[in-house]
Amino acid sequence: MNLNDLKTDGSMGTSKRYGMIVDLNRCVGCQTCTIACKHSNDTPPGVQWRSVLDVEQGRFPNVERLFLVTGCQHCAEPSCVPVCPTGATRQREDGLVTMNYDLCIGCASCAVACPYQARTIVHEKEGYYAGGQTEQEKKTTHEDRYGVANKCTFCVERIDTAAITGLIPGVDPEVTPACASSCITQAIRFGDFNDPASNVSQLAKDNRSFQMHAELGNNPQIKYLYEVPQATPGRAADPDDLEDERQSDPTNPLVGKRQTFWDYRAAMNFILGGMASGLMVTAWFAHAVGLVATEGLRTINTIAAALMAVGLFYVFLKIGRKVRFLFVLLRPQSSWMTRETWCVALIYAALAVSYAWPQYVHGALVWLALGAAGFLLCQARILYASKGIPAWRAPLIPALVIASGLAEGLGLLALLSLFPSMQVAPIIVLAPAGLLLVIVNSWAWRCYVDSAKAVGIGPLSRRDLASASPWVHAFGHGTPLAMYLLCLAIAPLSQSLAALAGLGAVIGGCIWKFVVITRACHQQGFAIPMQPQRGSGTRAAPKRFSLEPQ
Amino acid sequence: MIWDLADAKAKPYDDAIADAAMEGRYTVAGYEEGPDGERWVHASVEAQPSFELMREHIRQYTPEWAAAECDVPVETIRRVADEFVAHAKIGATITIEGVTLPHRPVGVMLGKGVNNGWGGYQAMWGRTMLACLVGALEVPGGTMGTKVRLNRPADNRLKSAKHGEDGFMTYPFNSTKKDEWQSKPHIRNAYKMLVPLAANSPWSAALGPAHLPWLFQHKAPKPWPRQTLPEMWICYRTNPAISSWNAPEVAKRIAEFPFTLAFGYTQDESNWMADVILPEATDLESWQMSRIGGTGSAEQFWHHQGWALRQPAVKPAGDCMDMTDISTELAKRTGLLKKYNEAINRGSAAMALRGEGYDYALDPEVAHGAKEIWDAVAKAASHEVSGGTDVHGIDWFSEKGFMIRPFSQLEWYLYPRMKEEGLRFEMPYQERIKRHGEQLERRLHEVGIEWWNPQLKEYEALPGYLAFPDIWENYATELGRDPKDFPLWALTSRSMQYAWGANVGLPLIREVAQNVSGHDGVIINRATAKKLGIADGDAIVLESASGTTRGRATLREGIRPDTVLLIGQFDHWATPVAKDFGVASLNSLTDLAVSLTDATGSGADIMRVSVKKVVA
Repeated sequence: MNLNDLKTDGSMGTSKRYGMIVDLNRCVGCQTCTIACKHSNDTPPGVQWRSVLDVEQGRFPNVERLFLVTGCQHCAEPSCVPVCPTGATRQREDGLVTMNYDLCIGCASCAVACPYQARTIVHEKEGYYAGGQTEQEKKTTHEDRYGVANKCTFCVERIDTAAITGLIPGVDPEVTPACASSCITQAIRFGDFNDPASNVSQLAKDNRSFQMHAELGNNPQIKYLYEVPQATPGRAADPDDLEDERQSDPTNPLVGKRQTFWDYRAAMNFILGGMASGLMVTAWFAHAVGLVATEGLRTINTIAAALMAVGLFYVFLKIGRKVRFLFVLLRPQSSWMTRETWCVALIYAALAVSYAWPQYVHGALVWLALGAAGFLLCQARILYASKGIPAWRAPLIPALVIASGLAEGLGLLALLSLFPSMQVAPIIVLAPAGLLLVIVNSWAWRCYVDSAKAVGIGPLSRRDLASASPWVHAFGHGTPLAMYLLCLAIAPLSQSLAALAGLGAVIGGCIWKFVVITRACHQQGFAIPMQPQRGSGTRAAPKRFSLEPQ
Repeated sequence: MIWDLADAKAKPYDDAIADAAMEGRYTVAGYEEGPDGERWVHASVEAQPSFELMREHIRQYTPEWAAAECDVPVETIRRVADEFVAHAKIGATITIEGVTLPHRPVGVMLGKGVNNGWGGYQAMWGRTMLACLVGALEVPGGTMGTKVRLNRPADNRLKSAKHGEDGFMTYPFNSTKKDEWQSKPHIRNAYKMLVPLAANSPWSAALGPAHLPWLFQHKAPKPWPRQTLPEMWICYRTNPAISSWNAPEVAKRIAEFPFTLAFGYTQDESNWMADVILPEATDLESWQMSRIGGTGSAEQFWHHQGWALRQPAVKPAGDCMDMTDISTELAKRTGLLKKYNEAINRGSAAMALRGEGYDYALDPEVAHGAKEIWDAVAKAASHEVSGGTDVHGIDWFSEKGFMIRPFSQLEWYLYPRMKEEGLRFEMPYQERIKRHGEQLERRLHEVGIEWWNPQLKEYEALPGYLAFPDIWENYATELGRDPKDFPLWALTSRSMQYAWGANVGLPLIREVAQNVSGHDGVIINRATAKKLGIADGDAIVLESASGTTRGRATLREGIRPDTVLLIGQFDHWATPVAKDFGVASLNSLTDLAVSLTDATGSGADIMRVSVKKVVA
C-alpha cells in the first residue's frame, strides 16, 4: 500500500474518529499554529486554515481576554458535504472532511454552508510581496487550489502516512496536524475520539467541554475546554457580551462578516431564476384553467427560459472553474444545486421537445412546469441549506423563495398579458390569486423579519433587513395589493392595473433577494457559551485558597 | 553573622547554628564595615536580623497605601496575597528523579516596563522577596531563572553560582574603591564608572547605560570627557535607528559617524546610513551550529541538551555571502586570519575545537569555508554530547538536524546546588549594594559629577518606594513643557510575532500578527477614546514632551483609561514592507535623558503623552 492509494481511496477502513481538543485556558495567541499551518500547507496570502482570534469580553475594569482557535471542525454531520454538487467535498470513515480540488467547480456552496467560516476560495494568484510571487512562492504554489474551495485538511497527508509508518496521529508529531504539533502550550491536541485511551478522549472525559454551535447539529469534532481542571470552573457567557451592541461591533472577532462568496451574480440567478420558474408554473396553471392558450404558454415559457438562462449565465460567471461546470450534475443524491441543474435540463429539454415535436407539446409543457416547480423548490432549498449564513438558513426562507417566485411569476404573466401575442385571457380572473400570493408573501416577509433575532440572525444582518423592509413592503406587497384590488374594482383598467401589480411584485422580489443574498448575509459568527474565569474585576476567577476540587 | 537563639550569640554563617533568629533585637559586640574599608568597633550595640529589618522596613507599605498608589482595590491586593500564600503550599515537597525537593507552585511575573528603568530594582526585589518568603525561589513550581549571566561559565548557570567570602554567591562588581574605581570612561557607555553592578564581562557593555552615549555625543553634562566619534562603526543585526529610546535622535547621531560598515540581509534604518553594506545571507541560506537545551543564556527546561544545525534551505538570493565566509574573508584581507582561526579554535564559534581528549582544530594559516568551519564545530560538539563516542561532522547533522543527550531535571533548579554548596540567597538585606553605592557616590563627587546623585539613592540595602510616576510626569518640565499637556501614559509591549523585530519585513508575519489586537494601531481605552472623539481606526497623533508619532486607534476595554499601548517598535522609514505599516512607535516618544535613567543604567519604555485625532 502506498500513500497515493490511500489518498485516492479516501476510506481508511477504520473505525477512527479524528478530532481535536482546544484548551481555551492554554492558548496564548502566539499564532505559531497559524504559521505552522501556512508553512505546511502552502496557503496563499490572507488564507488561514488555522486561525486564532483575539477575543476581549466585558468593559473596563471588568474585562476578560482569551484566544479562540478556529478552523474546519471536521464535523461528524458536516453541512458542507451534502450541498457539494460535484462530490469534491466528502467525509471519510475516519471523520476527516476532505477536498478533491480536481472535482471542485468553485461554486462556494460549501463555503456558505459552513457555520465555522472554515472555507476560502482564492481566484487570483498573489504573492506576499509587491511585484508578484517570489521564487519560493512559485515553487510552493498549488495550481489545483485556485478557483476552488479550500479548507483545513487536518494535514491529511500526515495522518495517512501513519498507516505506512506505524506512527500514531496525535502522539507522533510526524503524523499529527502541523498546528497541534507546533503548539507551544499544548492548547491544541489531536487524536482519535473513538480510542478511549487517546489524549483527546482522556481530555474530553476528564474535563467539561463545549462544541461550537452545537445547536446547529453539525456535531463538530473540535471540543473546547474552558476550565482549570479541579480548580476554577468555567462561566457561562455574560449577557452583556451577547448584547446587540457587542454583536454588531465590527472590531469584535466573534462577529461574522458579510459573506463575499455569493455576490450579485448569485443574486441574479435567484432573482431571474425565481421569477422565471414562477412564471413557468403560474402560466401552466393559467393554461390548465384555460386562461392561456397552448401556443401562448410555449411562447411564455420560451421567454421564461431566456430569463432563466441569463440568471444561470451569471452563476456560470461566478464559479471558479468554469470549464468543469458540468460536474455540477454529479451529486443528485444530496445536492439541491445538482437537482436544480437537472431541473434546468428538464425544462430546456421539454421546451425543445415542444418545438421539435409539436404533437407532444402538451406533455412537454407539463414536464416543463414540473421542472420549473422543482427548480423553484431547489432554489429555496439551496438557500436554506446554507447553514453558514443565519439569514439564509432561517426556517421561513424556503416559503419566502417559493411564495415570492410564484408572486413574481404571476406578476410577469400579468405584464406579458399586455401583449396579445401571448394569448392570455383577461387577467382580471387571476387577480384573486395574485392577492392571495401577495398576502402570503407579505405575511412571510413580516414573520421572517420579526423572527430574525429569535432564529439567530445577528444584528448586522437584521439592520440590513430592517433597512430594506419598507421597500420590500412598498413595492412587493403594498403596490400589488392596491393594484390587484383596483383591478377588481375598475374592470376597464384591469389589464394595466394587473400589470402594475405584477411589476411591483417583481421589483419587490428583486429587492429582498438582492438584499438577503448580498447585504444581510453575514456569516455565522463564533460563540463561546462557556469560558474560563480569569479576567479582571467581576470577570476575575473566584477566590481560591485551595488546590482541591471546588 | 547570624544570631543563634540556642547559644544566644552571633555566629559566622558557616558555624554550627542550631536555631537562627529571624526576629527580635540582640546586643552584640564587633565591628561594622563601611565604605572604603571604614570600620566602627562596637563593644555593645543592638542589632537586628535582616528579616526583622525587612519587616520593619516593609511595614509602611500597607495594602491601603498600595491601593492609593496603583488603583488596585485593597481587597484585591489582600486576596491575591492570601492566594499566593495558600498556593505556595509551604512545606510541600516533590520528588524528582529520586530527589525530594520543596514544591512551591507560585510565582510573580513581571512585564516589560516594570522590570527595567526606575522602579525596576524595587519591583525585582519585591518579586524575589515574595518568592523567598514562601521558599519558592529556584525550586520546582517557583520562580526560576535567577541566573547570574555575568558569572562564568556562560553555558551552565548552576556552575556559575560560586562561593563569595560571606556565604553569598560571589559577584564580580566593578570596584568603587578609591584606588580601583574607573574614574574615566573606558568605553562610551562607561559602565565601570557609572554602573559598577554591570560587572566586567563581554556582556557588560550591553547592561550599562548604553543609551547615554547617543545623548552625550550630542550634549554631555559636565564634567565629562568630550566623546569622540567612532572611526568606524560596525553594525551587525541591530537597528538602533529604530529600536532606541528617541530613535529619531539616535538616527541623527548615526548619521554623524564618519564611516559605517553594516552587514545586512535587508535594508533597514541603520544600514541605510552605512558607507558599506556587506550583503549577508539570511538564516535560511547559511550555516550555524547552536546549543539547544541546557541552562545557557536561557532556561529552556528541557530534558535534553545538545546541539542543532541551521543549514541552507534555499540557495542565497542575490549577491550575498554566508556571514561566516564574510568574516573569514575580512580576516584574510586585514591580515588577521591566523588570529581569527585561533579564536575559532578557542571557541568563538560557540565550541572550543580543541580540548581534553579531542582536537578538531582548524589550520590557523589557511582560510576555511563556512561549511568547513562548522564541520569542525559539529565534530567538537558531537564529541562533547557523546563523550567522544559518537563524533559526527556537518553532513551527519545536515541529515539528522540535531544531537542531544539527557539533561537532568534537577539541573533546572538552582536551589539544590545552593544547598549542596552551602550558599544563601542574598535576601532581603543587601549590604554590598549599599556599600558599593556609598563608595560610588564619594568617587563621583570627587571628580565633580553631581548629576548622577538621584541614581545613587537607589543603592539601598532594603529598597524603598520612590514616587516613580513623578519622574516621568515632571520630565516635561525639564523640557520647558507643561506636564498637564501630556495626560496619558504610553507603554509598549513586545510582539510575540515580530519577536525582536528582525522579521518585521516579512508580510507573512505581518498577516498573522494582525490577528492579535494592537499590531495595527495604538490601543486606547474605549471610554477614553470616546471622550477624545476618536473612533476605532481613526488616524491619531501622539505627542510627548520630546517627540511625536502617528498611527491609528485600536479601541479596547482591557486597558486603563489613562494609558495607551504601542506594541512593538515601528516607525520604520527604510525597511521594506515595514515602512508601509503606518504604525506608531513609542521609540519616537521616549527620550534619552539622564533623569530618566536609573542606577542600573536603564531607562524604561514609558512616556507621558497626549493623543489627538488627526483632522484631515
